[in-house]
Amino acid sequence: MAALTIENVRKSYGSTEVLKGIDIAIDKGEFLVLIGPSGCGKSTMMNSIAGLESVTDGRILIGGKDVTHANPKDRDIAMVFQSYALYPNMTVRGNISFGLEVRKMPKAEREIQVDKVAKLLQIEHLLERKPAQLSGGQRQRVAMGRALAREPKIYLFDEPLSNLDAKLRVEMRAEIKKLHQRLGTTIVYVTHDQVEAMTLADRIAVMQDGLLLQLATPQQIYDQPVNIFVAGFMGSPPMNFIKATLESESMLTIEMGDQKIQLPLAHNANFNAYLGKPVILGIRPEMITEPLEHKRSLACVKTLKLPTILTEAMGADTMVLAQFGNKELNCRVNPSYKIELGKECEFMFDMSKAVLFDPQTELLI
Amino acid sequence: MTNFQHRSLLQHIARFALYAVLLIMALLYLLPLVVMVLNSLKDVEEIRTGSLLALPQDPSFAAWSKAWGSACTGSTCEGIAPFFSNSFKIVVPAVIISTLLGALNGYVLSMWRFKGSELFFGFLLFGCFIPFQVILIPMAMTLGWLGLASSASGLILVHVIYGMAFTTLFFRNYYIGLPRELISAAKIDGAGFFLIFWRIVLPLSPPIIVVTVIWQFTQIWNDFLFGVVFSGVDNLPVTVALNNLVNTSFGGKEYNVDMAAALLAAMPTILVYIFAGKYFVRGLSAGAVKGA
Repeated sequence: MAALTIENVRKSYGSTEVLKGIDIAIDKGEFLVLIGPSGCGKSTMMNSIAGLESVTDGRILIGGKDVTHANPKDRDIAMVFQSYALYPNMTVRGNISFGLEVRKMPKAEREIQVDKVAKLLQIEHLLERKPAQLSGGQRQRVAMGRALAREPKIYLFDEPLSNLDAKLRVEMRAEIKKLHQRLGTTIVYVTHDQVEAMTLADRIAVMQDGLLLQLATPQQIYDQPVNIFVAGFMGSPPMNFIKATLESESMLTIEMGDQKIQLPLAHNANFNAYLGKPVILGIRPEMITEPLEHKRSLACVKTLKLPTILTEAMGADTMVLAQFGNKELNCRVNPSYKIELGKECEFMFDMSKAVLFDPQTELLI
Repeated sequence: MTNFQHRSLLQHIARFALYAVLLIMALLYLLPLVVMVLNSLKDVEEIRTGSLLALPQDPSFAAWSKAWGSACTGSTCEGIAPFFSNSFKIVVPAVIISTLLGALNGYVLSMWRFKGSELFFGFLLFGCFIPFQVILIPMAMTLGWLGLASSASGLILVHVIYGMAFTTLFFRNYYIGLPRELISAAKIDGAGFFLIFWRIVLPLSPPIIVVTVIWQFTQIWNDFLFGVVFSGVDNLPVTVALNNLVNTSFGGKEYNVDMAAALLAAMPTILVYIFAGKYFVRGLSAGAVKGA
């Protein structure tokens, strides 16, 4: 049974529609990440699930129960806010047990529950402190503790890591992932950080302008993005997009001035309809590398000489910006590969994961 | 070097002039109070023959004790002491009720906004700008209908209504600076309207409560017009009694008693400012710095 079902949910503020019919269903124990640029409606979606905002149309079901018009307290959810929203006047203990107290849990049970959660999150030594005396990471833990203590059906995380510094963010990300694996909780997590989305999610819902563009596993979204927006939004540095013409089911031509370059393609039956027509090629930076011996014999590989513009050493890899006709391509090469700026270097295009988009609709072919 | 010294000398002069002006302004401002204190310690004869600014030759608190306990205010001669308790009986409930209502209003207008709540708030603010005189007659009629004419409760009601515009403004502007997510978190935790107010919002309010209480206390304690119109003979506040005391004379005018009575009547508000003034300033600027 679905833990959370969102059916054709719409939300308007006056004449502006911020949610344009969203359908999502997630299973018990699933980790769903809502992602999109700011203003895409992901926070509104989250608040609607929480019951903090009403929806204009559609239904929301939690554990099979229709809660579309229920109060937040009757939805059996807990939420971790971006600002943590800890009660400043209460101690950490008070913060964690407030929800239990409101729900009339006896004091003895409350104490047990608080201690259990505090131990889980390693905040036992902070229980008598006020939020103002805690660091950002500690506040984050307390906010999660407050959510965990109630053991609700669904946990909602609203950009919980965006106020932390980079190192702590990576730590807490791992912590959240571990917690999820250990407790098997159902989580809906809003973020605009695609690394968070990729690493945490069982499934990612990519939103734009109040529409759900794609709901799929991180790998599917990465490899088979439904359109150019999703392809460009997920992945850093972003996917390269190149105008091309589909020569045959397994061959592309790209015009570079008066030169024509041919690139091989993995066979795909959907390409039939686009034979001889313009398409947009999408290829990820890590698929354009230095020439690799073990790949030379593969069918979908082509080596080209391109002038280089810029290199960025990342440590593990070096990002290279290469001139390709009038386009600049992001390539990811091994740091040991010698590159002289401004000179032509050899790059190997691995087309096995290349995707094609319709230039008009921008949809995946 | 000479240039530097020259400028330094100029700066000295400017600084000196600045302090001189400040000192003169402070003295001017304090002068009425000084005159009152000095003359309340003299006897009538000394005031009549000597200068108002002269120090008392033989300081005594006789005028103070007369003003407190035996001076005549109209037909009774019990000083202003009984009216002190009248004033407290009006001021204390009026301050508490108007502050509580203001807190509740501010909470609703900032955290539980409804359609038209901004308009509602705008209308409420009109209350801050309505002159007292305008509402005297309609208010008297209303109190009559309610059966509260010439009673302490009636006067309390008037002060609560009149004060609510200000208290609401104070609390609403303070609460608007609290994070909305706090309320959302409490709602999700299962708390309702009053529980959130009581457990989350009110414990965060002491700075603005202090401001509101001082403001309301001063306003209501110092009020004369509502007191004289609505209180009836049995509940006259101290301001009205002071007026009666000054206007009641048998034989010569007792300026020393008048001044002692005026100082006594002003004492509670002066004390409030002395002891809580810094919280007042702190509370007023509390919302000014984000994240403070």
